[in-house]
Amino acid sequence: MTTVITLMTTSTEADGEQPGAERRSALFDPGWWRSLLGIGFGRSFWGFLAFAVVAGTACWLVLGEAAFVDALVTDVGLILRMMPRVGLALALAGLLWVTLPRDRVTALIGHESGLRGLLIATGAGIITPGGPSSAFALLAVLGGAGADRGAMVAYIVSWAILGIQRILVWDVPFMGADFSFVRFLVCLPLPFVTGLIARRLPFDLQLVGSHRRHGR
Amino acid sequence: MINIGILILLLAALALAVVALRQGSGVFALGVERAIEQGAHLVPRMICALIAAGFIGKLMPSDLIARHLGSEAGLSAILVATAAGLILPAGPVIAFSIAAVFARAGASVPALITFITSWALFSAHRIFMYEIPLLGFSFTRLRLASVAIAPILAGLIALALGMFVTFAQPAAG
Repeated sequence: MTTVITLMTTSTEADGEQPGAERRSALFDPGWWRSLLGIGFGRSFWGFLAFAVVAGTACWLVLGEAAFVDALVTDVGLILRMMPRVGLALALAGLLWVTLPRDRVTALIGHESGLRGLLIATGAGIITPGGPSSAFALLAVLGGAGADRGAMVAYIVSWAILGIQRILVWDVPFMGADFSFVRFLVCLPLPFVTGLIARRLPFDLQLVGSHRRHGR
Repeated sequence: MINIGILILLLAALALAVVALRQGSGVFALGVERAIEQGAHLVPRMICALIAAGFIGKLMPSDLIARHLGSEAGLSAILVATAAGLILPAGPVIAFSIAAVFARAGASVPALITFITSWALFSAHRIFMYEIPLLGFSFTRLRLASVAIAPILAGLIALALGMFVTFAQPAAG
């Protein structure tokens, strides 16, 4: 963590945002707060809610009222225990997103980066916060800036299976800390292995919005 | 409730907050905005999915799952878990709800690791919504070919590890 923070303190304009610029924060904008309702209760939310109602109805009909209440009580307890962790993970993700120097990361995983590049890409995937929108966006930035194909694959695989925010938000609450730790250890070699495989595969790689790249 | 995990998370968040504030209050506010937006999206869906998972867990035929994904199923559990993860075109809320249901029904740790790995690497919605639009079909082809053996590899590593240590059956933390 220390090295990451040292890197971050030296970052400037990594993502086109002007740090410290006199931008009026959306936090003071009532319209933005209202728009959160749309984000939170958008179409897919109602899908999830309908899913829960259907499952609850089925549970009541098949197993009776006692089983229904029992499941509901267990779930509410679980949710209450999870929420502090989810809130913290989200805060961490947001702050990491604004402070991480993306240009410097790209410089470390370029075409001549070798095994070290795969290791760095794996590490970057682990600490990349946020959902697929931020990880794939970052990957596209890295690819466009000349990241090596093995490092790109290692990065996205690492984010998908080892991403620390995903582990804290999903693995730990749903599966427990012991399982999460074992899964992390077991999966640790995979970004590296898949990155090495990607370097050997003879496919053409043509990234969206970039010039054609041939072979390796 | 306050354990090491939460403590580390808290300290890391505080350290990052200091770093962001040193770069300017605008940077800090941007990070907070992002966190709140993600939370607004995530939390309502997560609550629904957890409640649904609780009901489904009650309804699930646990002996059937235990038979196909339990520790007695050995290698074939790894293959079944790979296939289960492969065909699940859903986000993490549903995937982890299902994993938790499998765990409660007696699925083995290697099978659960395989399932989560397989889902995380192949989830179709992510490929179609993000990977192809942002990186292009040729990258998706390269990546899928590169990760094809990864879930089975994860399962095998976990099986091998299981010969030396005993895994506790996972439970929600």
